[in-house]
Amino acid sequence: MLTIKNLHASVDGKEILRGIDLTVNPGEIHAIMGPNGAGKSTLSNVLAGREGYEITQGEVIYKGENLLELEPEERAQRGVFLAFQYPVEIPGVSNVYLLKAALNAVRKYQGLEEVDAMDFLTLVREKMKLVKMNEEFLHRNVNEGFSGGEKKRNEILQMAVLEPALAILDETDSGLDIDALRTVSEGVNALRAEDRSIVMITHYQRLLDHIVPDFVHVLSEGRIVKSGDKELAKELEKSGYSWIHDAPEGETA
Amino acid sequence: MKQLTDITTPFDDIAASKTLPGQDIDWLQQLREQARAQFQRQGLPSKKVEDWKYTSLWALSQEVFTHEAGASQLDEMRCSQTALLETAYRLVIVDGQFSAELSHIDGLETGLTVQPLSQAFSKTKSVLGQQVTLEKAGLNALNTMLMTEGAYIQVTANTKVSKPVELLVINTGETDKLATHLRHVIDIAENAELTLVEHYVSLADDSVGLTDVISEVNLAENARLNHFKLQHESLSHYHVATLAGKQASSSIWHTNNISLGAKLARNDIHSQLLGEQAHVTMDGLYLVAGKQHVDNHTRIDHAVPNTTSEEIYKGVLDGDSHAVFNGKVIVHKDAQKTDANQSNRNLLLSRTCEIDTKPEMEIYADDVKCGHGSTVGQLDEQQLFFLRARGMNETSARSLLTYAFAVEVLQRISDMPIRQALSNVIETRLPRGV
Repeated sequence: MLTIKNLHASVDGKEILRGIDLTVNPGEIHAIMGPNGAGKSTLSNVLAGREGYEITQGEVIYKGENLLELEPEERAQRGVFLAFQYPVEIPGVSNVYLLKAALNAVRKYQGLEEVDAMDFLTLVREKMKLVKMNEEFLHRNVNEGFSGGEKKRNEILQMAVLEPALAILDETDSGLDIDALRTVSEGVNALRAEDRSIVMITHYQRLLDHIVPDFVHVLSEGRIVKSGDKELAKELEKSGYSWIHDAPEGETA
Repeated sequence: MKQLTDITTPFDDIAASKTLPGQDIDWLQQLREQARAQFQRQGLPSKKVEDWKYTSLWALSQEVFTHEAGASQLDEMRCSQTALLETAYRLVIVDGQFSAELSHIDGLETGLTVQPLSQAFSKTKSVLGQQVTLEKAGLNALNTMLMTEGAYIQVTANTKVSKPVELLVINTGETDKLATHLRHVIDIAENAELTLVEHYVSLADDSVGLTDVISEVNLAENARLNHFKLQHESLSHYHVATLAGKQASSSIWHTNNISLGAKLARNDIHSQLLGEQAHVTMDGLYLVAGKQHVDNHTRIDHAVPNTTSEEIYKGVLDGDSHAVFNGKVIVHKDAQKTDANQSNRNLLLSRTCEIDTKPEMEIYADDVKCGHGSTVGQLDEQQLFFLRARGMNETSARSLLTYAFAVEVLQRISDMPIRQALSNVIETRLPRGV
């Protein structure tokens, strides 16, 4: 699905990612954890194609294609989905319009016909149940006036409608109270599938209690310094991130 | 020199020699004479006049316009396709001339009069020339000495007109450099209500011509006028317009001024709130690109206590276009409890477009609630990236965000068929892709 090899990326000449290696197979859930400033958000932004990052070394292969050569929309059309840490508000664009336009962009790439309005509503109503959103949200402007939890649920709703092959969840747990966290996690869990991979980027272990990953990686200073299973996250919870600076170079699984 | 007096088209000679309608009406003849004398003295305003600082009429003054239109070949079907509204009373003016065949003004409901001005001058004395002054540097004198056609609309007391009236003003482009001077007189009596659309359109993409129009509005006590203007003329056309109204107590005037076309478009919009509880909404939207120039000057006079006004003008500029917004709100002495709000927001899509925006408030009363502001910005990069990350290509994403910016003005329109029709027209003017 996704192979990241020796990825180096800089922002304004400052190197943030300093040699990331990661392989994600279909159906796997990977958690990437790390302290602030480790490069977590840079990694998700680079994968989604946000401007302002210079790739100085390495490559990212997604389904056999060089991902870094593609425009953000081309990545999305091929099934890469980024759930934003800070979902933007778009006054003047309704949620339903966005969802339909996004779905049709993906379908167009896949050579499918655009969905008609009735079929689309049926589909989206089904998906809204996953994240416990009521229909009123469809007709509100994208994220405008939404609470933090509503914004994150909205991201997962978009994921549910687009059914991506690879979802990158950037700090999806940030700013959520425990009920919202549970709703969002249930939504994500419902979307687990054999042909769908998920990369969760998070500072805190608590998200992993709800969405249990197959692999956990610790990112520090732009490198993955340790990899393991979900037990690694528990270890981090206990001892914090301070120990990683003492870890010997290259101790990765 | 405050005036442009070296004007290529001999407008004043034409006014003297042309057979104009209403020549048997004394007061009208006098008014035209005064206007002609005034125009001979003052010509057209130059950029030295404060209100014309950013808009030059020099190019207009150097054009050779004709005032004789050929007979046009416009058929009913083409006319209907051009109209904004399907269900409406329709008065059609083609190349400056009223078309009885294309108009739908037979069988009007009781209480509503819609007539071509050329046949109704005698009825207009109480309104015509009352909302605008000839002395003001501008185009009032030009229009008054040459006005030949337009609409006379009258709604009698307590009549709520069931269908909108569309004034459809079509330039066919068949007569090169045709100048048309139109005057609309709109008189709404006590407790009456009307929805009116002024619609200016060219059939040929690059025809050159001049539309010079003044709309005068009189709203009696508790009258209500929902007043739309859509200007969608050729990108080589000149459009100069004044929209001026006086409002009695508890009257409501909603104006919505959408400017998409013309090489040069200037609108002067003026409301005088003369009775308590009167309200005016002045909304506007301008979408310009290429070398287009659009200038909206608005003015609201809160003359008595307890009046309200609300104003949102939004603009989208692309290419080398230039837009001007000047919004003046004057709260007169003793006009206590005035509530006035004004904003002008602009979206710049290119590096070479230019906006000059100046919201102004002059407040001579002390117990008032007034706010104003203007903004100039670009498309938001975060929003753009978000839409692209959801699969939309860059052109579609830009187009959608541009529409989203503009749509606020449309969302304030409560009449759904009109909102939808205007929205459809605006979508055709967005960058391709949505």
